[in-house]
Amino acid sequence: MTSRLEFWQGNTACAEGALAAGCNFFGGYPITPSTEVAEHMAAKLPKKGGVFIQMEDEIASMASIIGASWTGARAMTATSGPGFSLMMENIGFAAMTETPCVVVNVQRGGPSTGQPTMSAQGDMMQVRFGSHGDYAIIALCPASVQEMYELTAKAFNLADKYRVPVFLMADETVGHMREKILVPDKVERVDRKPLAADALPFKADADLIPGFGQFGTGHHVHVTGLTHDERGYPATTNPKLHADLVKRLVDKIENARYDMADYDIINPDAHKVFVAYGGPVRTVQQVMHDRKDKDIGFLRIRTVWPFPEKALAAFKNAQAFFVPELNLGQMAREIERHVKVPVVSIPKLGGELHTPAELIAALEAKR
Amino acid sequence: MKLAIDETRCKGCNLCTKICPYKIFKEGKKPNRKGTVVPELDRPERCTNCRLRNLYGRQLCGVCQLTCPDQAIHWTEEEPYELHKVAIEY
Amino acid sequence: MSYEDWFRQDRLPHIYCAGCGNGTIINCTLAAVDEMGWKKEETIFVSGIGCSSRAPGYILTDSLHTTHGRALAFATGVKMANPDLHVVVFTGDGDLAAIGGNHFIHACRRNIDLTVVCMNNQIYGMTGGQGSPTTPKGCLSSTTPYGCTEIPFDLCELATAAGANYVSRWTSYHVKELEKAVKVGLETPGFSFIEALVQCPTAFGRRNKFRQVTDHVEYLKVHSLLKAKRDRMLEAGEKIPEDMYVVGELTKRSRPAMGVKP
Repeated sequence: MTSRLEFWQGNTACAEGALAAGCNFFGGYPITPSTEVAEHMAAKLPKKGGVFIQMEDEIASMASIIGASWTGARAMTATSGPGFSLMMENIGFAAMTETPCVVVNVQRGGPSTGQPTMSAQGDMMQVRFGSHGDYAIIALCPASVQEMYELTAKAFNLADKYRVPVFLMADETVGHMREKILVPDKVERVDRKPLAADALPFKADADLIPGFGQFGTGHHVHVTGLTHDERGYPATTNPKLHADLVKRLVDKIENARYDMADYDIINPDAHKVFVAYGGPVRTVQQVMHDRKDKDIGFLRIRTVWPFPEKALAAFKNAQAFFVPELNLGQMAREIERHVKVPVVSIPKLGGELHTPAELIAALEAKR
Repeated sequence: MKLAIDETRCKGCNLCTKICPYKIFKEGKKPNRKGTVVPELDRPERCTNCRLRNLYGRQLCGVCQLTCPDQAIHWTEEEPYELHKVAIEY
Repeated sequence: MSYEDWFRQDRLPHIYCAGCGNGTIINCTLAAVDEMGWKKEETIFVSGIGCSSRAPGYILTDSLHTTHGRALAFATGVKMANPDLHVVVFTGDGDLAAIGGNHFIHACRRNIDLTVVCMNNQIYGMTGGQGSPTTPKGCLSSTTPYGCTEIPFDLCELATAAGANYVSRWTSYHVKELEKAVKVGLETPGFSFIEALVQCPTAFGRRNKFRQVTDHVEYLKVHSLLKAKRDRMLEAGEKIPEDMYVVGELTKRSRPAMGVKP
């Protein structure tokens, strides 16, 4: 496969990745630091026969991409913290109705309006648990412009395969950074499993995923956010049905976590192991480069949710895990659940990445 | 055509008794098995749609059917009238 | 084919209370859709949350029962992504005017090719009769136990001001007129808004001296003022009584529309 060399901003790469993946609907609302994604889509989508629409708010953006998705479109929106909070209600709706869609969250400092132009990773728990009720989603974390491109394209495939909203949890650093990118000529495409002619629209197959009854193809699907039976009809007072439905929505993602898990393991025999995703990956890479120490391991995670905890077990000699994050240790808590050795959270608030010196200091403080 | 009320759907709101221009629907008197007091039909052969639908080949009036919030009013095709012998015993 | 064929017969009878006007409005809308000769696969019904929004669940087409107030935003996505589909939105006064007010204004402004049927029962029916933005002044509800003191919304004026191509208002008494209005709405490119005042015997009528369903329908009938008559009265300099609802075709124009099939 041939590819060409470009020098792009992260947000541009994200939009280009979406276009390469066949995204043909973008409903958005401007918000720093994700606006460039919308701007790029506004310029490019109409020329490719797609639809760009600027909605009245993020609630409507999320709603519009769910509506578009049911007509078969590959739909996407991009936002940041405050907009992401507004989307929560409809993200729950997408999870309940098993609507494939892609949401890009270029994270900024919060809570509330916070730091619009600074970097953060404070939405990592919100993306997993933000909407009410139990559900499961997929969240990917890019750490470079190249990954902004690749993971966006991958997000569409995961969304269509598992019929779930997929989140690209970038941060302001990666979104606004410009660097070299190798743009492939073609990206892989996995399409939705269509609904068989006489099948019930919400009856799952063995993989726990039902076929997709696209609007306008004569399936007469009733899509509702209410607890529904296999026909899609509301059945809100049946305890077993509700339990089974929610269990299936969670299991279809959680059971498949290693089919989609994407991570790198560096120096698996090391005693001290960094675990990072998104922006902090770059600082860890610098430390690894400077130190060239075989005793420092590195687990670099791209699929943050569902969390691939088996990857932690690959570090058999690990005496401590070091988790640099641009929040007060949100994923460190998740990692703590899965390992028996100490987990050292290295939080950093304020909007800047860790410096390599800070990471080394944390490493050496733990002796 | 024959006018009929579907007792499984009627909830007994009596809206039909108000809007029929011929006052064919009368408030019912006793509840059915579901406990709904279904309206009664008073000489339904007066209904325009019953009399003339087949002649005109289209729906006539039909206000009761449109108004009925529970989709309980409909028309059924009548069996053609057949002459039959009546034995008269003297 | 008649409009009865558009129902999911296995789902009837529906969950509406005895005498609820919503069933009437569904009948009229489906009759109009049926007259258009549209195929079931090409027609999508979208709704939000509330009594009115349960309607698409009883209709044998693809349908989308969404989150509270957001029906128009979802419908915008459906229509823009596939303009070949005919999209009809069922909504209620709380859904459209309160939580979904912003989406309503912007859908009108975009003049997107949707037909919106608003079942205005002047109350939040499904949650047990709380005051809504269209509850008339002085009316009792569970959250306005001493009478509503707020000024109600005139949804048709709002739709006209925001730019909708077609706006009309009827009541659940005027079934034939309503059916025709919905049909004109479906035919009109751009945003069509049809407000249907309906009786809510359980939540509204019970608290507001309409003991019988027929009493409330009679009230709607008597308090409907035809637009033509209103215009004549205005010309003659007569005063329009405050408790009258102006019914009829209020706006019909052809501003440029979005999402129309080329």
